[in-house]
Amino acid sequence: MPTGHAVLDAELPGGGWPPGEMTELLTDCNGHGELSLLLPLLVRSSQNEGWLTWVSPPHMPGIPALASAGLRTPRLLIVQAGTTGERAWALRQALRSDACTAVVGWLGYVDTALLRRLQLAVRATTIPLLLFRSAGNANTASPAALRLLLSTSAPGVLRLDILKRRGRPASRPVHLSPDGSFAGTSGHPPLRRMAGSHAGASRTLALIA
Amino acid sequence: MLWLALVFPDWPLQALFRGQKHRTPLAVEARQRMLALDAAALAQGVRPGQGLADALAVAPALLIRTQSVEAEHAALRDAAGCALRYTPQVVLEADGLLLEIAGSTRLFGGTDRLLRQLRTDLAAAGFHALTACAPTPRAARWLALAGPGQCIDDIEDLHATLAALPLRVLETSERIKALLADSGLHSVGEVMRLPRNGLAQRDASDVRRLIDQALGRHPDPRPYFEAPRYCDSRLELPVPRHDADVLLFAANRLLNACCSRLSAAHAGIEHCLLRLEHEHHPATPLTLTLGTPSRDARRMALLVREHLARIALPEAVCAVRLQATDWISLAGRSDDLFGPQAPSPDGCREACGTLVEHLRARLGRDAVYALSARADHRPECAHRVCEPGTGKTGRSPGKRPLWLLSPPQLLKLVDGHPWRDGPMQLIAGPERIESGWWDSDDTAGQCQGDALRDYFVAVGHDHARLWIYREHAPPHHWYLHGLFA
Repeated sequence: MPTGHAVLDAELPGGGWPPGEMTELLTDCNGHGELSLLLPLLVRSSQNEGWLTWVSPPHMPGIPALASAGLRTPRLLIVQAGTTGERAWALRQALRSDACTAVVGWLGYVDTALLRRLQLAVRATTIPLLLFRSAGNANTASPAALRLLLSTSAPGVLRLDILKRRGRPASRPVHLSPDGSFAGTSGHPPLRRMAGSHAGASRTLALIA
Repeated sequence: MLWLALVFPDWPLQALFRGQKHRTPLAVEARQRMLALDAAALAQGVRPGQGLADALAVAPALLIRTQSVEAEHAALRDAAGCALRYTPQVVLEADGLLLEIAGSTRLFGGTDRLLRQLRTDLAAAGFHALTACAPTPRAARWLALAGPGQCIDDIEDLHATLAALPLRVLETSERIKALLADSGLHSVGEVMRLPRNGLAQRDASDVRRLIDQALGRHPDPRPYFEAPRYCDSRLELPVPRHDADVLLFAANRLLNACCSRLSAAHAGIEHCLLRLEHEHHPATPLTLTLGTPSRDARRMALLVREHLARIALPEAVCAVRLQATDWISLAGRSDDLFGPQAPSPDGCREACGTLVEHLRARLGRDAVYALSARADHRPECAHRVCEPGTGKTGRSPGKRPLWLLSPPQLLKLVDGHPWRDGPMQLIAGPERIESGWWDSDDTAGQCQGDALRDYFVAVGHDHARLWIYREHAPPHHWYLHGLFA
């Protein structure tokens, strides 16, 4: 499933978000374009019959902004669940129901067993599961097929470190500018090295999304 | 004509408990005498007809319930509902059913397969029956009582078979049974050989009429059962219980029976009420809302499970009662040709409704919703919470953030400038929004009446892009209203 950002697609095995797999987006960002990253996928998913399920979003979604981006907002189903267990339960039900085109969840602290159950649930489907978790979880193991660490270093630029992907580990971050403006190439701090990743040079990609 | 007779052994017991698992011996009494006993009670030496005190002396752990005629009627209606799937001609007896199945055997692949399916349906609703088939209703019932499992197709064979039956199958008064027994008669065949006038002189011509009806020589009209279009059945638990599994099992019995009746009536329900009755407290009501009309017992059982996981019972449950009144016509649906890989639009829509109701059953009604756009310039009024599937879409007049904070967050002022863990840089704006003078502040909902604001896009010190506004009216507070996520 193409992400809608060509440079990110080139970095991801299969050329986009993996369908039928769990993707983790680890971020502490709040207002840096972390939701815009998913917008092309969500817009495309909303064209099909079925719910676009958001489990426990942190704020109220801006319906006019989503509609302006082309998302069919009546397909959006918001589920507010309190505890982590309930959120994971709601995510599993959404995945099992055959009624969703994409499932996005915001999770607090979860243990690996719960993540594994989510991973098993999403494996049985053909839709992507996208989980937002806090960046503090970057160093703990996870069964997700794709893990991205989202951070920012300059206004309007979203930096993506691919912590885990199928195949060869990624060594360079991807810089996206969600609103389409040119993202600067200079002044980025050195790449944060993850265990097991290749010690590649901190090459930076500036791109027009 | 081919009649299938169903006789429910120990009917007073079956009707009350519908085959629930239990450890203690059970009995049903009527007028201080044992009427029906389960296997455990029989094994401990309790016998039908025994007095209450004698039975308790033999088996002190015996659980005794009084016979309930209403419960038996309701249970019989549920059992008849299961049978209605196989033939429209169902007759209610005191402790059994008569089904005219000549027209249905071919459809269901023969009498044996029909019987097997019927038994499965009845077992799901908690009933166990002895069966027999015969060309006349009375003969079928006699066979089911005295020699269950027999199936006689030919009316010519009936005479010989019935002649071998014992006299206890005859539905006559105790006086006539005693008279026949005193005359040294033991089987139906012996009564058949008696002269008619002799029987008539002893006021026992009824016996002869019954035998003639069984042999098909005398008319035997039966009123057919017409299922009422509502469901109201109650199931007692042998012992008051708390455990969700036990309650779910009992609820399943009622749901299966209700759904069999619904499918026979080509109907579905959108909601039903499951009442968990307690001994001392008022009943706990569980409203099962299905979203779309349905007669899928598994779906309902799933909702019951979610409700049971959520609620706290004030006391152990002693009985479960299911009430489903508003039946909606629901035609059968063909299966999808390609199975679950390519579900039909109907199947998808149903799955959508099921998911919403399933989530609501556990998380509460307000926790699952959709958002509908509204034509209002005030950002907090540009959407409203609505029922999933009923939302409208609408575009924004200008650039709007993906996250909206509700309520807006008051920003600190440092040196007269808005401050959020650091200074902000305004990069776009102002956009004047001035609307809502017609709304007074006390209106219900989220609209806070008159709005008079200047909106700016700002970049915070952590590079976050924020949507902030300054109130036009003094004291000119600054608020954070959205995040360009």
